[in-house]
This record gives sequence, C-alpha cells and structure tokens, in this order.
Amino acid sequence: MLSCAAYLLVTAATETLSDLYVAEASVIPEPAYGLSSVSTPIPIGDPANTGATAVLPDGKTAEPCDTGAGSHTATMTEFEIVKWEWSYVQAPYLTVIWIMIASFAKILFHLSHSVTRVVPESCLLILLGLGLGGIVLAATKKPEYQLHPELFFLFLLPPIVLDSGYFMPSRLFFDNIGTILMYAVIGTLWNSFSTGLCLWGVKGAGLMDCNVNAGLMDFLLFGSLISAVDPVAVLAVFEEVHVNETLFIIVFGESLLNDAVTVVLYKVFNSFVEMGTDRVRPVDYVKGVASFFVVSLGGTVIGLIFAFVLALITRFTKRVRIIEPLFVFLLVYLAYLTAEMVSLSSILAMTFCGICCKKYVEANISQKSRTTVKYTMKTLASIAETIIFIFLGISAVDSSKWAWDTGLVLSTLFFIFVLRAIGVVFQTWVLNQFRLSPLDKIDQVVMSYGGLRGAVAFALVILLNETKVKAKDYFVATTIIVVFFTVIIQGLTIKPLVKWLKVKRSSQHKPTLNEEIHDRAFDHILAAVEDISGLHGYHHWRDKWEHFDKQYLSQVLMRKSAYRIKDDIWDMYQKLNVRDAISFVDQGGHVLSSAKLVLPSMPSRTSFSENSVTNLLRENGSGVCLDLQVIDTVRSVRDREDTVMHHVLTGNLYKPRRRYQANYSRHFMSAGEQERQDHEVFQRNMRRRLESFKSTKHHSYQGKAKSRYKKEHHAQKKPKCTDVGELVPNGKPRRNVSWQDTVPVVVTVDSEDDKSETEKEDEGITFVARTADEVLQEPLPVLPPGGQDVCHSPFTIPPSPTCAERQLPWKGDQGSLPVCVSLETTKIVPIDLQQAWNQSISSLESLASPPVAAESQSHCRAPLCRQEQRGSPSARGARGQGFLFQFPDWAAGQSGEEDSSQPVQQQEMQPLMSTGRAPKPVSPPSCVTGRWPPRISLLKSLVSVPPSASEPRSRKPTQL
Amino acid sequence: TVVMGAFHSGPHEQQFRQLADKTGFSLEQIETLHKRFKQLSQDEDTLQRENFDNVPNLDCNPIKTQIIEAFFDKRNFEKGGAGTVQEITFEQFLTVMGHFRPPELRMNDEQRDKVRKEKLRFLFNMYDTDNDGTITLEEYKHVVEELLSRSGTLEKKTASAIADAAMLEVASITVGHMEPDEFYEGITFDHFIKILNGLEIETRMNIHFLYVDTTTLCK
Repeated sequence: MLSCAAYLLVTAATETLSDLYVAEASVIPEPAYGLSSVSTPIPIGDPANTGATAVLPDGKTAEPCDTGAGSHTATMTEFEIVKWEWSYVQAPYLTVIWIMIASFAKILFHLSHSVTRVVPESCLLILLGLGLGGIVLAATKKPEYQLHPELFFLFLLPPIVLDSGYFMPSRLFFDNIGTILMYAVIGTLWNSFSTGLCLWGVKGAGLMDCNVNAGLMDFLLFGSLISAVDPVAVLAVFEEVHVNETLFIIVFGESLLNDAVTVVLYKVFNSFVEMGTDRVRPVDYVKGVASFFVVSLGGTVIGLIFAFVLALITRFTKRVRIIEPLFVFLLVYLAYLTAEMVSLSSILAMTFCGICCKKYVEANISQKSRTTVKYTMKTLASIAETIIFIFLGISAVDSSKWAWDTGLVLSTLFFIFVLRAIGVVFQTWVLNQFRLSPLDKIDQVVMSYGGLRGAVAFALVILLNETKVKAKDYFVATTIIVVFFTVIIQGLTIKPLVKWLKVKRSSQHKPTLNEEIHDRAFDHILAAVEDISGLHGYHHWRDKWEHFDKQYLSQVLMRKSAYRIKDDIWDMYQKLNVRDAISFVDQGGHVLSSAKLVLPSMPSRTSFSENSVTNLLRENGSGVCLDLQVIDTVRSVRDREDTVMHHVLTGNLYKPRRRYQANYSRHFMSAGEQERQDHEVFQRNMRRRLESFKSTKHHSYQGKAKSRYKKEHHAQKKPKCTDVGELVPNGKPRRNVSWQDTVPVVVTVDSEDDKSETEKEDEGITFVARTADEVLQEPLPVLPPGGQDVCHSPFTIPPSPTCAERQLPWKGDQGSLPVCVSLETTKIVPIDLQQAWNQSISSLESLASPPVAAESQSHCRAPLCRQEQRGSPSARGARGQGFLFQFPDWAAGQSGEEDSSQPVQQQEMQPLMSTGRAPKPVSPPSCVTGRWPPRISLLKSLVSVPPSASEPRSRKPTQL
Repeated sequence: TVVMGAFHSGPHEQQFRQLADKTGFSLEQIETLHKRFKQLSQDEDTLQRENFDNVPNLDCNPIKTQIIEAFFDKRNFEKGGAGTVQEITFEQFLTVMGHFRPPELRMNDEQRDKVRKEKLRFLFNMYDTDNDGTITLEEYKHVVEELLSRSGTLEKKTASAIADAAMLEVASITVGHMEPDEFYEGITFDHFIKILNGLEIETRMNIHFLYVDTTTLCK
C-alpha cells in the first residue's frame, strides 16, 4: 500500500529530521563553524556549505552537515565497501514486506478455486493473520504488530471508502437513499442504545464477572462502537455473495452512512465517560444531538465542496493528462483529511465526494486516466482490505490486551444479532409503507444477517482511554470476538443462506441498448405523470435536479468536448460499435491485414492467425491458394488495380503503429496515432453496420410489396449461393471472412442519379447496402458520363507512383511503411479483448463528431439505391409505399464470407491466388479503366477522406 | 400530506366509490386526483389537450407529446378501443393514471405477469401511434429521437443513429438469425415484451400517489 508506505516513510523522515535537529542543535552552539566539517571527507571548498548549514537551521541544508558530522566521522577510520543500513530502510522495508505477504496470501488463496468459493477471502486473511501473529509472538516473545487506529483511520480505511464511494452506482444509491438513511441513522441509533442498555441490564442481573467495571455510560459507549455495521467487512463478504443490487446497496450504503452516527455516539459517550457521569449536564445531551447534525451534514458538505473543486480542476487538465489521476486521489483524500481535521464524519465526506465528482471527472479525464484511476483505486482498496484483515488476525494474538468474560462476550453476540434483527424488521415495516418495491422477508433476513462488524469497531475500541474506561480490556476482547464471529461465521454461512433462501441474485445481464433507452424513457414518463397528477414526488425532484445539472452544473464542471460523452446511451451505443468493431476485426480485420497487405519478405504464414482465410481455404482444398509469395509472379491488369487500391488503402487504412515510439517525455503520452487508429476502427465498423443494415423509414408496412421485393432479392442472391458449399466447411463458416467486410461497399457514384435520389430521399428512402461483389457484377458500362467527372478527383492518382511502385506497391512501400501487416491489429481480437476494448473506447473522447462515417454513409446510400432501382424496378414501388427493414446483417456478412469462390471475390483476391482454376475474364480493360477511378475514389471517400465538394451530398442520416 | 375526510361530504362520493373499485385507487387518492383534474380542466367535466399546457414542468419534458397523447388514446382506457378522443372524462383520466399505480405488495407470478403486461401495453401503445400492432422503425425512431435529442446532449442525428442501432438490436434479439433477404417489419408486442425482459417494469413504472402535495393543487 503506497500511502501506508508513504506514511512510514514520512514518519521515518520526520524522525530523522528531528534527529538532525538534535544533532544540529548540538553543532550550532559551537563557535567554530567549521568544527564539524573539519573531519569531513569533503574538506575542500566546503566552509561555505557548512556555513550555510550553520546559518540556516533548516532540515534540508542540515543534511550534509549531518552526514559530515555523524556517520562519516564515525566511520572515517576505515572505508567500508558495503554497509549494513537496516535502520535506515527498516520502516519502508517492513511495510513493503507486509504488503508482499498480503499479496502473496491473495495469490495463494486464489490458487485453489474450491476454497475461495466456499470461504470468503476475509476469513482466510484473518486466519492467516492469526497464524502470522502466532509466529511473530513465538519468535519475538512479544506481540510486535498491531492494527494501530491511526494507521487504520488515516491510511487503510480511506482507500476502501474512496473505492466504494467513487464506484458507487449513484443512481441506485440515490434511488434508495431514503431507505439507506433510515437504516443508517435510526437503525444505528437503535442498535447502539439497545445494545448498551441490554448489556447494562445483563451486568445488573449479575450475569457478568464483577471485574467488568463498567457503568451505564461505559456500556453505551461500547454499544455505540460495536453496533455499527462495518463497510470493510460488508464489502468483503457481500462482494462474493452477489445478492441483488438493491439489497446490496441498502446494506452497504447503511454501513457507509452510519459512520456519522457512530462517530457522534462514540465521541459523545466517550467524553461523557471521561468527564464522569455525574458531571454531565442536560445541555450536553442537547449538544450531542446538535453535534450529530453538524458532524453528518458538515462531512457531507465538505465532500460536496471537494467534489466540486475536483471536477473543476479536471476540467483544465487537458494538457497535463498524465497527472489527472493524481488529482482524483489527492482531492478526495484531502476531503477525508479535512473532515478528520475538523472532526466531522470523514467517511461521509469521502463517500459523497466520490459519488458526486465521478460523473464530471469521468467525463473530463481521458480514457487512460479513467483506467488508471480505476485500477489504482482497486489496487489500493484491495491491499488495504487485505492488510486490515491480516492485522486484525495478528492483533488478536496480543493477549496482553485481552480480558475474557464469557458473560459479556456471549450476551454481546446475542444482543447485537437479535437487536439488529428486531430493528430491521421494524424499520422495514415502516419503509414498506413508502417504498415502491417493498422489501420482503428474505431481504430482511439477509439484512439482519449481513450486519457484519469489523475493523472500525476494533480501531475504535483500541482508541479507548484505559484509565477512564476501566473495562477496556474486556471490551477489546469482546470486540475481537464479535468481529471474528461476524466475519468468519456469518461470512462463511451467508452464502449458503442466500442460496437456501433463494435470494434474488444480481443479474449478470448487461442492459441492452433498448433497455437503456426505455430506462431513460421511464424517467421522463414518470416525471411527466407526476407533474400531471400534481405530485411532487421523487421523480419530479430528480427531473428538476437533472435539469439544473444540465443547465448549470455540467456547463461549469465539464469540458465542452466531454459534454456528449457523459450520456449513458451514447456510451452504450459506442460500446456496441466497439463491440462490432472488435468482432469485425476478429472475423476479418486481421485476415485482411495479413493476407492482403502482407509483406513478401515475411518468412512464412505460420505467424498468421490460425483462423485466417488462408488456412481455412487450404484446409478445404478449395483449389484456391492464397500463397502470398505468388504475388510477385502474378502480373496482370488486376495487379494494377490492386496497386492503386493498395495506395488508397495504405494511405487511409491502418497505419502501422510505431511500436518503438520513443516516449521520453514524462509529462505527455503521445496518443495521436493511436487515437487515429481507434477512430478508424470506429469508422470502419460504422460502415459495416451500414452495410449490413438497411435502415429505412417506415410507414405502415405492406406485405405485398415486401414479398415482391423479397423475390427480387432472392433472385439476385440465389446464383451466388450455389457454390458456397464448395468452399465453406459446415462447422465454422463465420470465421471465413473475405474482403467484403473490410472494403465494404464499393460504390459507383453517379451524380445524375444521385441528384434524383436526393429528391426521392425526401420521401424517406434510404439505402440498401450492397457489398462489393454486387456492384462489380453490375454491367459496368451503365456508368453515365457524369461518373467520369467524379473520378477525376485529385485523390484518384496515387501520389507520384514510380513504375515499380505501380506494379508492386508493397515493394515500394517497404521502406516507408515497414509493417503493413499491423501486428497490432491482431491484438484487437478478443484474445486480449479488454485491451482492445479500452483502445477503442479511448477513441470516443476524441470523437466529437466523426464526420467521415456519416459522409461515407451518405455516399454509399445514394448509389446503392440506384443499384436497387436498376436491379428491381418493382422494388421502387415497394419503397415508395412502405419501407423495409432488411437484415442482411450478420447473415450478409456470412454469406459474403461464404462467397469466397465467387468470381468477384476472386477478382478481388486475384493477385493473391494462384488459382486452381483459370482466372475469370472479368472485364475488358476499357471497362476497367472506366470504372477504377470512381471505384477508387469512392473507396477513398469511404475509407477516410472527406469527399470533394463537387460531389453531391445527400442527407446524412447517421451523424455521430 | 394526504387530504383526508373531505370526500365524505362530497357530491361525488358514490361515483368515487365505484371508481375506487374499478381502478384500485383509494378514495383519498381519487379525491386528490379529482381536485387536480378540476384544476387542470378549469372546472370543466372533461379535459382537453390544451389543458395540459397549464402544467409548467411538462414543458421541459422531452416526450411531453407522447405522454399527453397517451391520455387521449382510447386504447388506454377502453377495452378494444382504438383511435384518439378530443376530451377525456375524469374516469378516463383516472384509468390512464391507474397504469402507474404500484401493484399490490404481495403478488404471485401470474399477477405479476399480468401487471407487467398491462404496463408494457401502455408503453407499447405510446410508441405504436398508428395502432397497427407493430412499432415500425419510423415510429420508434421518432420517440427515441425526441427522447434523446431533447433530453440529453445528443444531436438529432446521433439520436437517430442510436434508434437505428436499437432497432438492429431488437431484430437480433427477437428474430435472431435473419436471412439476408429477410426484413424486420417492426416491433410487435411479443417482441416488445421480449426486449424489455431485463427491465423490472412492474417495480419501475410506478408512482406514489401517496404524497399528494396540496400546495401544487392551490397553484
């Protein structure tokens, strides 16, 4: 744990510093300022140095003085090659060792899945701690290590609270805030007082050892610290149980928010005990009540203030992305410390700071920072938790602080359990009058049983003043037993209990886009109905808040560019896109890059993915050999086509990533190239979506038209499907991906038709995506003269192609484009899905509006429509009346994939295939020249370049 | 604060009792909703579309039109009804409101299913504006666009793209594998149930008619 290590470092440093001061103090009074430096090994020119040291009694400048005066003088007699500096590194060294042990323990536990499935990690850690404590005790004869309250409250607790606050599902939290507050405040008050009173009653009844020297106030104090449900323990246990979200948030929210009550009760009773019961005046009770409001509200306000500041800061970190994550930690920790400083509820401060800042912070910081924050937070929290449980175990070994009393222990265990159950049942009964989704009996059982006590109680009991609280030792022992009992016994049994009671589990199912949309719709519908019926209910206020947030808060706290990204549905949509992109890359992307743009110099194909088209084809003995070496020998017209295409593609598609990019700057991480590529994943995948998805406007649908259209379409598709079987294995056709996917729609633009189309579009036509083969299959001379104009766009001609380049572009490129086979692309396949995900996701923030996708869409649309018209005049009628929603979708991709033996397909692949069969005479050269340029220019426009202004633009339906 | 007692002497008592049996609202709730109704309709017996303009908070609601339309949609208060009406009576108003009534605390699965279907039907009707039993892409798109572009920070075009994607998702969930030449006509009610399977609508689409704030009634 870093902060822990830092703490010990700091303490070590301060100790050294105070030592220095002492040393210096002894030095300074000496009149001869050179005294200490006389014997230093650096005698020359140092009077000035030592003089400065003597003049400025400063820790920093004192250091050379010290090294001169202290260690060196002592060891000057003999020069040592190495020295034993244990005392110098001891503190951080031990800290690191402890963290190491904790981490190793985690590894060890998770080696055996069957153990961790049954036994919660927290139990194992406590047991390990007990064992380690025993070893230490046996070795050193005295209990060495303890869970120090200071260490706990200042360094171990904050990471856990931060983690839980920051990653709290805020919507769920605020939806249930009433219930949570009820349990946290009323429940905790009830538990404390009733437990204290009952224990006092037991004492009065004489069931306790008379050595337990405690009055009512002592028991109330003990009740206050023992009754609070502990966030660390609850989190540790419930994390593995997976009860439904509502139940979890109620129990966990309670454990976080009861801090204010616990702190206040603890402080009030503690001061009452220390003052002496007889000196407590009535006004003190009033003060106690008042302090509750001050502590809780004050803590919350501090949290909110820091959340605001933090959000504001992250708005301006655009140029220092590298320290963005740091701000999150610093500010939230500062909130915690500030609350501690003014003795307000620090857990509340941190929780609310985390909850409230998250939305804005996440929107402002970069994706990488988001990931960093997430992982750092999780790491810190996890380590802190581990250390807490281990130290709980170790501390228990320290029997010097123990004083056992069976009556006290048993009655405490009994009362905290029974009283909590009573409290829960009563409160739930009240709450169910108000809750929209009532909590049933099973929920109540889990809530009662899930009231785990933990390290907070232990730290608080250790903090008690022994001289004032006479029964401290008894309380410590009881607390330890209670903590162990709840964490180990209840922790062990809660999982079977939940299973047995058939508690509704959390669904692993991720909401679909439609569910998200409807969720959003509900918010507005409910708010509207509340407004109509004149109620000022929850939805009304939430709606108001969202309005306020949108109007003011977000404007202030969010970057303009980040504004869009915060939208959940947009997020969702992006994720869908990225998922598509990934599956796309999985299916075909790397095949393209490796099979099509491979370097001849590549040693062999073995480095390619096993699933590559090449392998599949070879396995099936299709007679098509994708031997890449053949490229060199095949020269044909198609080579030229390929050459030009290649130029277009290499100019626009994946640039090889510079893997050894020098990254010397500590302050910036260059992201340009990467982001551009991510961008392209996105665009490509958009294209693919469009291709596979014929989106149309709908009026009512007319069945007749559909069937006719269907037939037409069938007629078109049929012949192609005939020789599918030849190539594709029945088993996994999906892996067999062709070009089609990657160079999706090769479109011929035709300005005239385009114009007429744009007119028609107003009636609500859209596009029929047609894959490349279909376009190619069309009789090409249909292309009107207008098409020629388009093809003369400046992009058509590859930039100064030399002859050799023209023939063998891959050779020409060898120098400048070292790796056309982007090895990185293969990384995007789900082997490392997470990374790919992140990479792709990170593009989102730069995507204020990727116009190209839209452009390309608008381009494919018009001509595609034209295609359709030409092919099927009747389909026109169908379109006019009602629009169709076609799903070539995956199937289309699939059928396209399966079509590898189609002539067109072959034509595309031709240069790569030394064909078993003769290459089909595709098109006469005249035609070819006539059609390349537009093809290529369009290809180009599809790939990335915005179209030239001359090209008529149609409506862009999908601007992102 | 719940308005209590007032209804005993009211002229509508008998009517209210019948309504309570019919809609499941309590008499107090009916009483307050009736007050609200009178307030909205400016003491008329029927409520018209224009009356909803008097609700100030509704203005910033992105799907205001759809909501208001739902109150005038015959399907929502008549069995087998179709089309829209110009004005609604209090009973009809109450019936529409009834769609948002929280269900009973204890329900068996059958009841739960029934409640769920009723609520979903209401929602479905809201989208299916032409009452042909399917939500076509256009209809769906319209709502989603309104919802997203007016409520959030998204532009209309993005919203439209999202609607497309959502429709795509619907098709892939409901139909599964489609032949390349198949078409997805639109969301039928069965599909609608299917796609919202993950949403706990029976607990989600509820409003507390408990807290009736009288101050809003006096406005």
